[in-house]
Amino acid sequence: MSAMDPTEVFRQEASELFEVLEGALLDLGQRPDDRELVDSAFRALHTIKGSGAMFGFDKVASFTHEFETAFDRVRKGEIKPTQELISVALAAKDYIRALIEDPQSTDDIIGDGILDDLKRFVSSDQPAAPVAEIAEAPPLAPVESKQAGWHLYLEFESHILRNGSNPLDLLEDLCKLGPCFVVPVTDGIPFLDEMEPEDCYLKWDVKLHAACDKDAIDDVFMFVSDEMKLTLSPLEHVEAPAPMPLFLLLDEEPVAEMPAPLVEAAAPPAAAAPVAKAEPKSEAKSEPKAEGKRDDRGIATVRVQAERLDELMDRVGELVIAQARLTQLAASGSDLSIKMIAEEIERLASSLRDTTMGARMVPIGSLFGRFRRLIHDLSRDLSKPVEFVTTGEDTELDKTMIECLADPLVHLIRNAIDHGIEDTATRSANGKTEQGRIELAAVHSGAQVLVTVKDNGGGLNTARIRAKAEEQGLIAAGAVLSDHEIHQFLFHPGFSTAQTISALSGRGVGMDVVKRTIENMRGSIDLSTRPGQGTTVTLRLPLTLAIIEGLLIRVGEGRYIIPLSAVEECIELTAEDERSRGRNFLNVRGNLVPFLRLREIMSSSGSPDRHQKTIIISTGETHVGLVADQIVGNHQTVIKSLSKLHSDVTIFSGATILGDGTAALILDVAQLVALAQSKVEKHISEAA
Amino acid sequence: MSSDVTEPKWSLRLPADCSIAAIRSVYDLIREAFGRQDRLEIDCSSVDKADVTSIQLLLSAAKTGDAQGRPVVLTSFSKSLRNTLRRAGFASDTMIDQHFPQKKDGV
Repeated sequence: MSAMDPTEVFRQEASELFEVLEGALLDLGQRPDDRELVDSAFRALHTIKGSGAMFGFDKVASFTHEFETAFDRVRKGEIKPTQELISVALAAKDYIRALIEDPQSTDDIIGDGILDDLKRFVSSDQPAAPVAEIAEAPPLAPVESKQAGWHLYLEFESHILRNGSNPLDLLEDLCKLGPCFVVPVTDGIPFLDEMEPEDCYLKWDVKLHAACDKDAIDDVFMFVSDEMKLTLSPLEHVEAPAPMPLFLLLDEEPVAEMPAPLVEAAAPPAAAAPVAKAEPKSEAKSEPKAEGKRDDRGIATVRVQAERLDELMDRVGELVIAQARLTQLAASGSDLSIKMIAEEIERLASSLRDTTMGARMVPIGSLFGRFRRLIHDLSRDLSKPVEFVTTGEDTELDKTMIECLADPLVHLIRNAIDHGIEDTATRSANGKTEQGRIELAAVHSGAQVLVTVKDNGGGLNTARIRAKAEEQGLIAAGAVLSDHEIHQFLFHPGFSTAQTISALSGRGVGMDVVKRTIENMRGSIDLSTRPGQGTTVTLRLPLTLAIIEGLLIRVGEGRYIIPLSAVEECIELTAEDERSRGRNFLNVRGNLVPFLRLREIMSSSGSPDRHQKTIIISTGETHVGLVADQIVGNHQTVIKSLSKLHSDVTIFSGATILGDGTAALILDVAQLVALAQSKVEKHISEAA
Repeated sequence: MSSDVTEPKWSLRLPADCSIAAIRSVYDLIREAFGRQDRLEIDCSSVDKADVTSIQLLLSAAKTGDAQGRPVVLTSFSKSLRNTLRRAGFASDTMIDQHFPQKKDGV
């Protein structure tokens, strides 16, 4: 048994359903004729309603019911889901979420207002979708066939009642299609000792005496189609004197006797089961036994609290450190069996690390989904129609990275819509489509993930950025700077070129925070822009923040780690390079690469090794060489934060513990590259 | 202990809520009563919330009693329970009688 509060379980499940609902509603805005989206939204609503009622969230159940009822005309295809309707439906979704997560913040008046809006939209005479005409036809209308109705055999999965679904409601809906002859099949009822009282054991054999469309029957079971076995076959003839329809009986006083066929059919349960299987889809779903299916699902996914994953990662980190110490001890001794055990433990620790890190990986799509609503709302508020395109949703990142990435992306997307995308008049005047476009993409690139936010707006106004930088005294008037360098001022605290401050952006707070956040994640940020065509912001991020592959180097007496993902290659510093003191450039296959002597930066004492090594590192397009005394080798690096005392030492991003128990500092690649570039600029200006 | 049919201990009155939200406790109640008595009378007059789980539980109690030779008798079906039975397809008195052993009008 799980120790989790069932109400909390409902909240978590509802949270996932809200994502599905929101996604379906937003997609409906783009594809209003897509029936699957309407069905998906309805399934989510129905489950929220059912589970809400079961867990005592009566207000949720009641509001969702009203929402469902109002939205029913969309489901029936009688009206098209317009943008206005989608907006109100999204507001309704937000209200339900508030009812669940923070009921104190809700007010019935707001809820009623939303429902009134919803009802107003769905009751207005909007042009019907093409399917509406079909849907408006009474479902009971006879079709041109000899068929006199349908024979159904309903078997629900055992857990269906726990999900809030009620087979009796479904039977009632079915009876609305025409006269129904419902026979409960009781052969699955267990003895008391074997019973799980919340499970569903009853099955039903139904003869529907109406030549309705099969889709009408499918519609009845739409919400539970994945959780039941529906066997459907046509009734060729009316088999008996018209039986008393169940739906007529519902509100009446007890009936003394029923027609004979009903009683007869009820008696032999086994006889009711074999029915010709007319629907391949339903048949395929029903292949495995209900119990088996539930078991499989239970094994496939386990819900684990995020803190437990963090704890597990910490333990693995400690294990990796201990393993490194063991390996070092084994290497210094001569006992072969100890060495073999150390190697085995190293292999297992490495495998455990990978598995644990894999368990923490989350598809970035879960994050992208959040921005669809943001863009929808911004687009509406700013009257800028925007198409939102995402790619690479399956790209996986450590869950901590995903959490850290949300705020920077919100800033970037807001900026893209507010400043990047032009208003419709300007776009039209420039020969562009009225609708702007924002692309959010993620892709793996080696040990990094690249996340890009690309808009097709007006691009950065380099002249204005430069003027603003001069005005703020960040550069001297007339200073020679490349466009790339000028654009970097956007990341300067308090820098904004926006002429007006809006609720969204313009205060100059944001881009510097974005940069700092990304760099804190050991990532980097690149900007590229083309006037009139748009801007692309690229975030380069490591896959994880917990354990990385590092390159262990020695500089003097100290040892340092360079993240292996940033290492391009290692070369030996030649005598010619050695002689080039003061110039600080390497010739790497015809390309000049600036380099930094780490001995100088670390103020190492003693004389350097005779054969110094250069490690070429890169951030994006920029390459820099780091000169060290020795390359020790690869090292699984468990990252530890630096103390507050060292927080102002910018060239280190953290520390790790080596096998011998000593600490090694982790070099901050982005800071070292920036340092090398500033030296190059100084060199150029001095030469000039 | 007396085993007089008229003694209240023979009769187990079901609570008002016999829906899925409360069915586990009703189930425990019936099992406990089963463990104590040779025959069981279940008074259904107070039931005002019933659903598939309540029907199943009553069916299971009847089936278990029948198999163990310990008669289970249901009395005074409430309107709500009767309506739920009908919705589930137990549409006539005959059919209800067939599946649920009842004592009617004090018989």
